[in-house]
Amino acid sequence: MKQLDRFTAAVVVCGSLAIGVAACGSSNDNGSSSTGGSAGAQKGGTINGAGATFPQPVYSEWAARFKDKQGTTVNYDPVGSGGGVAQFQAGTVDFGASDAAMKDSEIKVAQKKGDPVHVPTVLGAVTVSYDVSGLKTGLKLDGATIADMFLGKVTSWNDKEIVATNPGVTLPSTKVAVCHRSDSSGTTKNFTQFLADYSKAWASGPGVDKSVKWANGTTGAKGNDGVAACVKQTDGAVGYVEQAYALQNNFATASVKNKEGKFVAPTLPATSAAGVAAKPPADLRFSTIDAPGATTYPITAVTFLLVYQDMCKAGMDATKAGLVKDWLDYALGDGQAVAAQLQYAKLPPAILAKAKAKVAGLRCNGAAIAG
Amino acid sequence: MSATTLQGISVRRRATDRVARGVTLALTLLALVPLFLVLYYLLKEGLGAFSVHFFTTDPTGRFLGDPGGIRSAIVGTAIIVALATAIAVPLGIGVALYLVEYGRRSFFANTVRYFVDVMTGVPSVMFGLFIYIVLVVAHIGGTFAAWKGSVALALLMLPVVARSSEVVLNLVPNALRESALALGAPRWRVIFRVVLPTALPGLMTGSMLAIARAAGETAPLLFTVAFVNGISTDVGQQMNSLPLQIFNDVGQAQDRLVQRAWGAALTLVLMILFVTLIARLVQRRSGLQP
Amino acid sequence: MEAAAITPTRGSLPRGSGPRFADPLLQGVLAAVAAGVLVLIGFFFVKLIVESQPAFSHTGVVDFVTSNDWVPSRGQYGALPLVFGTLLTSGLALVIGVPVAVASALYITELAPRRVRGPLTLLVELLAAVPSVVYGLWGIFFLAPKLLPAEKWFSSTFHFLPFVAGTVSIPNYFVASLILAIMIVPIVSAISREVMSTVPRDHKEAALALGATRWEMIRMAVLPYSRAGISGAAMLGLGRAIGETIAVTIVIGNAAAIGDNVFSQGYTLAAVIANEFGEAASDPVHRASLIAAGLLLFILTLGVNLVARYFVNRAESAGARRTPVGMAG
Repeated sequence: MKQLDRFTAAVVVCGSLAIGVAACGSSNDNGSSSTGGSAGAQKGGTINGAGATFPQPVYSEWAARFKDKQGTTVNYDPVGSGGGVAQFQAGTVDFGASDAAMKDSEIKVAQKKGDPVHVPTVLGAVTVSYDVSGLKTGLKLDGATIADMFLGKVTSWNDKEIVATNPGVTLPSTKVAVCHRSDSSGTTKNFTQFLADYSKAWASGPGVDKSVKWANGTTGAKGNDGVAACVKQTDGAVGYVEQAYALQNNFATASVKNKEGKFVAPTLPATSAAGVAAKPPADLRFSTIDAPGATTYPITAVTFLLVYQDMCKAGMDATKAGLVKDWLDYALGDGQAVAAQLQYAKLPPAILAKAKAKVAGLRCNGAAIAG
Repeated sequence: MSATTLQGISVRRRATDRVARGVTLALTLLALVPLFLVLYYLLKEGLGAFSVHFFTTDPTGRFLGDPGGIRSAIVGTAIIVALATAIAVPLGIGVALYLVEYGRRSFFANTVRYFVDVMTGVPSVMFGLFIYIVLVVAHIGGTFAAWKGSVALALLMLPVVARSSEVVLNLVPNALRESALALGAPRWRVIFRVVLPTALPGLMTGSMLAIARAAGETAPLLFTVAFVNGISTDVGQQMNSLPLQIFNDVGQAQDRLVQRAWGAALTLVLMILFVTLIARLVQRRSGLQP
Repeated sequence: MEAAAITPTRGSLPRGSGPRFADPLLQGVLAAVAAGVLVLIGFFFVKLIVESQPAFSHTGVVDFVTSNDWVPSRGQYGALPLVFGTLLTSGLALVIGVPVAVASALYITELAPRRVRGPLTLLVELLAAVPSVVYGLWGIFFLAPKLLPAEKWFSSTFHFLPFVAGTVSIPNYFVASLILAIMIVPIVSAISREVMSTVPRDHKEAALALGATRWEMIRMAVLPYSRAGISGAAMLGLGRAIGETIAVTIVIGNAAAIGDNVFSQGYTLAAVIANEFGEAASDPVHRASLIAAGLLLFILTLGVNLVARYFVNRAESAGARRTPVGMAG
């Protein structure tokens, strides 16, 4: 018995030591890039956000640089726009994120805590990515055809609808495998908005929402990354993912027909062009889907960060409110240039100014928030 | 099948016997094939992810650049499971003690026994959901927190510990109890000085098996702890954990993130195997087999 | 301690140290803990029912279980596709897993050479040590793609069978069922082994003495005796399969519809809870519907477990009753 006690004690001690060493060696180590000095005061602290996977690439990059700049950790949980709005309403996060502006009904729920403020951050292209052996990037597709693919009406890649927009291109007979979101997604809302604009069958069928009833035989996956994984796995797959994901995985992307009838590829200039003509209302709840312009990429989405007008009244303490404001300032300031590196488009100047004004107008228990 | 005299076994019967044996053996091996495949793939894909960097850095959540390792997940799992154990093991052994020493066959004891058995059959996702409703949404002590995940895991472990402890405590020979009582020791002393020490190896085995089970659970943590990249030792805040880390990385398109999932999976399985083997070792050394 | 008096009365024995109230205190504390467990389970059940009310008042109990549309964005909460997926995958898992588990239990207890028994038992138990998320990971990255050609072949060759023809997806009901079958083997095997090892030696030896082959002995003595216990084990395995969440959600495709065939994507009650709770946080009806799905799940597992315990108890009492008549020992 004594032998047993000693033996087990030894094991337990060894185990705890190992974990202890790991934990202790960590608390001071930031882990992320320690590229030298950071200007400005180190404020530290942690803020938590959750929401869309659409801007996750750029938000995570911002978070790393923001931490270098002022030591504040930003935890962003990519649960999807629906989850982001839900957690924002429930007050379980400090800021929410959504690619789809909140509906009136959602705002009503949020108003129990305070008035929600939409802060647009960047524009991104929703690509129609595909992985078909034998097909290069740049396949020309229009809204009606894409809708038919997602409705299950177009079943193979050499269907006459695709042939019609791609004369002279040899198309394989591979079966079309549709990948879409299984979770509540702003990307879905933007994509289905585009489809509904060009397909009556879509508008009256699945309709426009963060989550719709998809056709039988299609595959659902969580998050933009899940759809990307789905597209990657199957030959003949087509899915809608944000540009950064398409680039990461070297997907072929379709050139989509815009309002002016031109087939445009999802490039940075084409994404930026979508924002030029946008005239957002006072509460900045706007959409850039199917924007006008000859060089515009028609499936461009704007993404928002969600905060309460009076953050402290909604339950936050003053220090945290300050950190959240710093984060928003960063997003609309230095962050804009960083976004371009990841192929997200900066906000057009007019809208950027309005967004900055909104952030400046945020309050903590009625008082302006110290920078 | 009459065989009242010693007849020779017909060819057909011998053939049936052989076929049956072969089939049984084949099915048994078939049952083990997935185990070997899983372990093989874990090693093949997971070892590639192992490196010093893998174990000493936290996931960064960065899309480009360094995705980081799984340190915060390992530490998180250790902390959350340790806290769950601290809650579940004393309570579970307490329930078992009551059932064996005091309740025995009373109506109350039988009812408790029955419902503890019921609890073992509850899916783990239900415990997570329950704690989510009761603690997270109600904003008791903040929203997502590591200790809430521990409570959910403790709910999962409690019936397992209680049931296995009851079996072990029942194995302690009554003679030991009776001689101690006959010598004038009060009940509580008999329990703490005679029964528990005798049953200790079995109790430890049962608890360790419960720990191994809890360490691998994802669903209870999904709703209660949420996901966070950086390392944290504050149980009042969100915390990373291995099952959550794996679950998040599974759906990723980037190959290196998928590889990180395999590496994390291998780490988790090694940790669980370690605890399981220790449990079995303790059981064998003690000689107190149920 | 001195020799005890012949008539040990309370006063005469030297009392050990310790206050008088320690005994009742301990009993009280332990009884409270035990009672606490009951209260907890009761609270659990009550809370589930209360929180799921909004869903039932929105959809109606019967409609909730029987309508075929689970589209939260439109406020439609018909759980039929979920119930279907749950029952199909668990049922199929049972059909695949139980024979394998019982065969392994048989082999280990009756047929294996003595030295091999320990390691074999350990190996089968190790199947239970693999976390479900790891099974999911392995399932989606290894098993599902590898099975695709075989599934396609099966689907086209046996297209005349019901529920077989149609498009084959990588994540599908069948892969989920396979993974579940693997996961229930250790439980079913362990309990079957326990039951089989309690078969009285006399029964087995009697059969052998009558000239039966090993297999015939198993058929005559072991299997009939263990039947009830094995049924109980199977039911417990079923309960596990019904409640499994993570492994299933990774490999089933998460499509809230009744698939065309066994190789299409589907959804289960457990998977829907895991996937949608985050979005449902503030939509009361959606959240209540998920809790209602949980309630349904709980009732299903409860029901299955009650049946299992009935069988196992019957086996145990039957075993106790079955005294060998006219045989020694």
